[in-house]
Amino acid sequence: MAISKEIYNALEAIVGAQYISDDPVICEGYRSGPGGYENGLGYERVMTTIPACVIMPRTTEEVQRIVKVCYRNDIPYVPYSTGFYGPRSHPHVEDALLIDLKRMNDFVLDEKHFYVEVGPGMVYSPIQEECMQHGAYVVIGGGGAQASAIANLIGDGWSPLSHRIGLPHRRILGTEVVMPDGEVLRMGSLATSDDPFWGECPGPDLRGLLRGYTGLRGCLGIVTRMAIKTLPFQPERLVPTGISPNTALALPEKRVKWINFIMPSKETQVKSMREIGHAEIGGAVTKVPLFWRAIAKAECKEEFWDLWGKENEETVANFFIVRVLLIGFTSEEQMAYDEAVLMDIMTELGGQARRTKPSDESWIKNADSAGMWLMCGGYVSVDYVIETLSQSPDHGPSYAELKKKYTPPLMPDYGDPGWFQSFELGHQGYSEFLVYWDQDDDTDKVDQFYVDTSKMNIKNRFYTSLLGPHQPLYLTGPKYGPNYHEFLLKVKDEFDPKWKCHPPVPLAHDVFVERAPWMHFMKDWESPDDLPK
Amino acid sequence: MADQLPIRYYKPKADFKFDITDIQNFVYDMSRCIKCKGCTWVEHTYMPGTKYMTRCPSAAKFEFDSYGAYGKMRIGHAMAEGLLDWNEKALEIMYACTLCGACDVGCKRNLDLEIELTLESLRVKAVKDGVGPMPAHKKLAENIASTHNMYGAPHDKRTAWIPEGVSLAKKADVLYFVGCTASYVNKEIAQSTAKILTAAGTQFMLMPDEWCCGNTPFSVGLIDQAKALAQRNVEEVRKTGAKTILLSCAEGYRMWKVDYPKLLNISTDDLGFKVVHLVEYADEKVKSGALKMKNPFESRLTYHDACSISRLSDPWTPYEGKRGWMGCVEPRLQRRRGTQGLYAQPRDILKAIPGVNLVEMPRTRENSFCCGAGRGTQEAYPDFAKWAAAQRLEEVREIGAETLVSSCPWCKNNFAQAVKAGGDVQVLDISEVICRSIEG
Amino acid sequence: MEIKSNLSKIVGAANFSDDPAKLQAYATDFSYYPAGAPSYVAKPSSSEEVSEVIKVCNQNKTPVVPCSSKVHFYGATIPKEGGLVLDLSRMDKVLEIDADNRRVRLEAGVTWEKLTTELKKKGFRVIMPLTPPAERSVLTDFMEREEPTNQVYDYGEPLEAMEVVWPTGEIFRMGSASVNGYPDSASKGGNPSGPGLDFYRFFQCAQGTMGVVTWTNLKIESIPKIDKVLFAPIDELDYANDFLHRILPRRIGQEVLLLNNVDLAAILAQDWPSDFDKLKASLPPWTLILVISGLLRRPEEKIAYEENFLAQVLKAEFSTLKLGETLPGFPGISKKVLQILRNPWPANTPHWKNRVEGASQSLFFHARPANAQYFANMVREIAAEFGYPGDDIGMYIQPIEHNRACRPEFTFFYDPADEAEKAIIRELYKVAAAELLKEGAVFTRPYGDLAPIVYEKAASYAIHLKRLKKVFDPNNIMNPSNLCF
Repeated sequence: MAISKEIYNALEAIVGAQYISDDPVICEGYRSGPGGYENGLGYERVMTTIPACVIMPRTTEEVQRIVKVCYRNDIPYVPYSTGFYGPRSHPHVEDALLIDLKRMNDFVLDEKHFYVEVGPGMVYSPIQEECMQHGAYVVIGGGGAQASAIANLIGDGWSPLSHRIGLPHRRILGTEVVMPDGEVLRMGSLATSDDPFWGECPGPDLRGLLRGYTGLRGCLGIVTRMAIKTLPFQPERLVPTGISPNTALALPEKRVKWINFIMPSKETQVKSMREIGHAEIGGAVTKVPLFWRAIAKAECKEEFWDLWGKENEETVANFFIVRVLLIGFTSEEQMAYDEAVLMDIMTELGGQARRTKPSDESWIKNADSAGMWLMCGGYVSVDYVIETLSQSPDHGPSYAELKKKYTPPLMPDYGDPGWFQSFELGHQGYSEFLVYWDQDDDTDKVDQFYVDTSKMNIKNRFYTSLLGPHQPLYLTGPKYGPNYHEFLLKVKDEFDPKWKCHPPVPLAHDVFVERAPWMHFMKDWESPDDLPK
Repeated sequence: MADQLPIRYYKPKADFKFDITDIQNFVYDMSRCIKCKGCTWVEHTYMPGTKYMTRCPSAAKFEFDSYGAYGKMRIGHAMAEGLLDWNEKALEIMYACTLCGACDVGCKRNLDLEIELTLESLRVKAVKDGVGPMPAHKKLAENIASTHNMYGAPHDKRTAWIPEGVSLAKKADVLYFVGCTASYVNKEIAQSTAKILTAAGTQFMLMPDEWCCGNTPFSVGLIDQAKALAQRNVEEVRKTGAKTILLSCAEGYRMWKVDYPKLLNISTDDLGFKVVHLVEYADEKVKSGALKMKNPFESRLTYHDACSISRLSDPWTPYEGKRGWMGCVEPRLQRRRGTQGLYAQPRDILKAIPGVNLVEMPRTRENSFCCGAGRGTQEAYPDFAKWAAAQRLEEVREIGAETLVSSCPWCKNNFAQAVKAGGDVQVLDISEVICRSIEG
Repeated sequence: MEIKSNLSKIVGAANFSDDPAKLQAYATDFSYYPAGAPSYVAKPSSSEEVSEVIKVCNQNKTPVVPCSSKVHFYGATIPKEGGLVLDLSRMDKVLEIDADNRRVRLEAGVTWEKLTTELKKKGFRVIMPLTPPAERSVLTDFMEREEPTNQVYDYGEPLEAMEVVWPTGEIFRMGSASVNGYPDSASKGGNPSGPGLDFYRFFQCAQGTMGVVTWTNLKIESIPKIDKVLFAPIDELDYANDFLHRILPRRIGQEVLLLNNVDLAAILAQDWPSDFDKLKASLPPWTLILVISGLLRRPEEKIAYEENFLAQVLKAEFSTLKLGETLPGFPGISKKVLQILRNPWPANTPHWKNRVEGASQSLFFHARPANAQYFANMVREIAAEFGYPGDDIGMYIQPIEHNRACRPEFTFFYDPADEAEKAIIRELYKVAAAELLKEGAVFTRPYGDLAPIVYEKAASYAIHLKRLKKVFDPNNIMNPSNLCF
């Protein structure tokens, strides 16, 4: 046991006996899989293990002291907010200390200046509720209302609401990070005061260290405090209704409304998103995969398959839906204006409005990601990338094409081309592709598909979210930048020279390919001999 | 169905049952937990803010993931696969839990996993493996075996609660099952219930020889004792010819309605009699006019949803089937998702009382935070039970309520004890509240 | 010398000079910072040339000072340790205008004049700071975070994917432009973030110390169909702020700003000094300027709902605020101001800041709007201690995003030929900055004298910055002696 009695005692002295444990049963409770995001796959089996010890700090000072103890004594450690993100949020090496941040859930809301200040233990739905009680709203990232807001903002962080609100990076205000060696870095206005209201830093902006489109998965420090922009909402209350599993927010129809449109073609579907963006209206504009509709309707897994079994390649290929959320930020009159403009656009393009429930089941407060596991038990998004509407609508189909080779074990989805939407009022586009499998099947091909998508993106010159630690760094590195991996690794070496913060991230997927025999044939790129084993 | 598709899938079909005596029946469920913690968080749509975010007392108190359902599923899975042994922590994890069903309902909002059954099964496993239940439970089980009640009190004093002016029928359609707690400790609940029945003109009988319903033995995994009690009690009720069994205790209600059928491998409908809680009965009688709420009760009042008549109360149907491709089950099954809880009835009753100002706590209905007492918890973990009650009382005070009403003696006692120090909240059972209003 | 011949070969002899007369142009700028002469200037025409130049300089440990235009107010491009000025003005191509995605890709040398003109032809604009000089680099203004006057977009900054040359000479594309083969790719460069890290953040407010930005993608917006410029005379800043707190979260308006009489007079004046003096005396203490616009579709209806909302709020809650299309006593101001807000400051006219006394120094930072009045009072008091009349300070408050914050700017005007006056202004500036910093003002652009003041307070931040800098610029060649480097 690498965490010796002396070190355990030192750590215990920091948090108190109640908040640390190396009991094997407690540690087993922190296993990543076998269920969950990206779980039940080779990466999880080969790369993750349970911690040797779990510790739960309450304050930044405690985190700092813990990290310093680890660094001095060469103990690998892993920051953990909720553990929902799957294997990548769990220890990858033996004898690691898992730092469970759930107790750091302080919350401050500044109504006038539109921000909230949170710790890493605070998840989204309470934040959204508090915001909405004070005239504001946030984007609940697709990771769901159960995601830690901080973890989500440094890793993912978008939803259909991003049509208006935009990149999560721009919502990060004053932030505090305990760096891998235990030094504290305060950014934004926190660099020179204790007021976190402003995000930009003195000079070059070290918020660049927090993420790089998607995250670093906790290998470059622990964010202990962050102020997050909220956005002004409209004043009417959204009332929760129904009983689980059929709960929803009832929408005040004159101020918040979803409208579903059926478009005649893909071209008009994309054009409508563009036009809505150019017209600068709307709170959300999105198109989702057809099987989400089946998930929403189904009362159980078996019913999902009944519904889904009725679809085929043709129905899927001809499913052109555009969902628009109108929000009356200014007034009912403004909402009427938005709707009139929207109808103008739809009339021009032949979009037909369908009867739409005056409720939100998902995006505003729930961001219902947990339903993604209903069908098969295993799920991962193999891309969730922001680019432009020039890339986004074509991105999904290329995954759908590649996926055919790997189905089964991937779920049959009749070539569904995935999810895309408008972002930042049409200046950007977003595409996400989701895949599903049963983890009891032979899932080697899912692992292979995953890396194959990286090669596909490189070949087709698509930007992708799965860079950095998500894919083999030596595969993607030379092809983006080029050589972004060299700069990333230099930064990692500078701030974590001993590689104790969540090793071997960001090289975890490279190591996985080396270790997993069923991945060897895929390796057609160079990597150095001194890769961590 | 998809298994008729030309694509070949590898998954063999596996049999399984909703039978908690064998943990292998729940390996699928344990292995599919996605760690979304929907079992712990108040359901997101209803999330009241940053102050009352969770509805799992165990996760909230002990804080390590291992104490939430996500932890328990992983631990249980490792045990079921023979990869992890019991130790003290494991026992605490499994037993410092009221089996309140928040996790089951929370998970089932999105998925089809049987969390509650898994937790029950893990307790059965603990007993089978010789490590459970906790010493306090063993004592209680011994009491039941020797005196037919949890307290070890004289069995012949079980009916001492019967008040003046209440006449019991020798034979009636309605049988009032009083339960150990109302018989021996909270006599006011039994007495109030009897008066309510009388006032509404309902003839009722008691069991000729009422024994403990077996809630605690069942809940802590003493399956054999619980099954024996179930068999005996059901048979005795059938013998009386009662058409309806009425309970004023939520835990008892759940035992009779859900867990007796579960133990006997029959469905609730096959019991041969209806199982009704006082709030269902009284609500009907108030609405029909048979009960008149004459006396006002001037109070700012809130209602605590007892777990066993809310999340856990959907009727039981035995299930046996095959799990196949993608985990789909055959035959199709209608899962119990806690949608049939008795939420409206107690509220309608309270609102019918003049002077009552009914206010809701931030966590209500299926999002309620368990009082902390039930299903073996108070006996083995009294501090935890006290802590949970104190948490809930914070909510009561937050909304400025001066009276807290529930529908279960366990809730009442646990809250009353927790209030003792402050004395600022009046804790009542709904039977008492109804009785006060109809009397005179 | 070898370095000279190497550099000359890379950019071409016509684009290289070590002639002191030519180099003088780079030795000073509009700020009060003392002159610093470079040893050479090179004017590359492509990223490849930039890369080669930087490699040579790195080999020789020669400082490199990137300079995109010739209009500078902050002293950032004055070489502090000699070396090479890398003049990017030849890299002045507007590379793409992508109407579908409302995106423009432009090189570092593209000026406001050029960009505004090119975009206007296609019906587009870029949101602008207040009166950017026509000859100034657009890219630089966005990299240095000049605050736009248009704050209505929830998604914030318009920067998208860019290309840089690292201090070690690698050409590197960031964000979604990082795909191989860009721009001949499915990816168009709409996303600034990644790959791996948000490297682009390191270049913001870096004053060229982290490398050279050669081109960037920017968001462009449609030109509104209808504009109405509204004015309100303001006596109390707090009252104006209350009003802005009320209306800006409702997404009212496009451009919104507050100018005091001094700044607005300087901006509007045509005959100097008579116009300026008259305007300064007659303008209200503050003027709130709010532009409401009708966009591409149903423009009248958009104007209508914004006007209706404003009317209701004014009537019910701000009855003493006189917001209207005119400013009493100033006929024709509406058209004039719209012109000013939507166009760069013309090249043939000295910048208004330099017209008052010949030169100026602006002190700006970010703050909570409630503190604006307090800071204004503080600056007046400090100025008075240095003999600078409070009534002569130019003041500009830029409300930011729903009025979550604001950017106060205080400008001191002085005669550049008067060394004594310059010295006083310099002292006043430093003292005011230090006091403001103590009281919570947030300085994110620590030019010149601000740097040691800010980095002393942000010592931990500075340490991490230096560690980062070491990674990318181990020889510290990029614009040394700026910031904390």
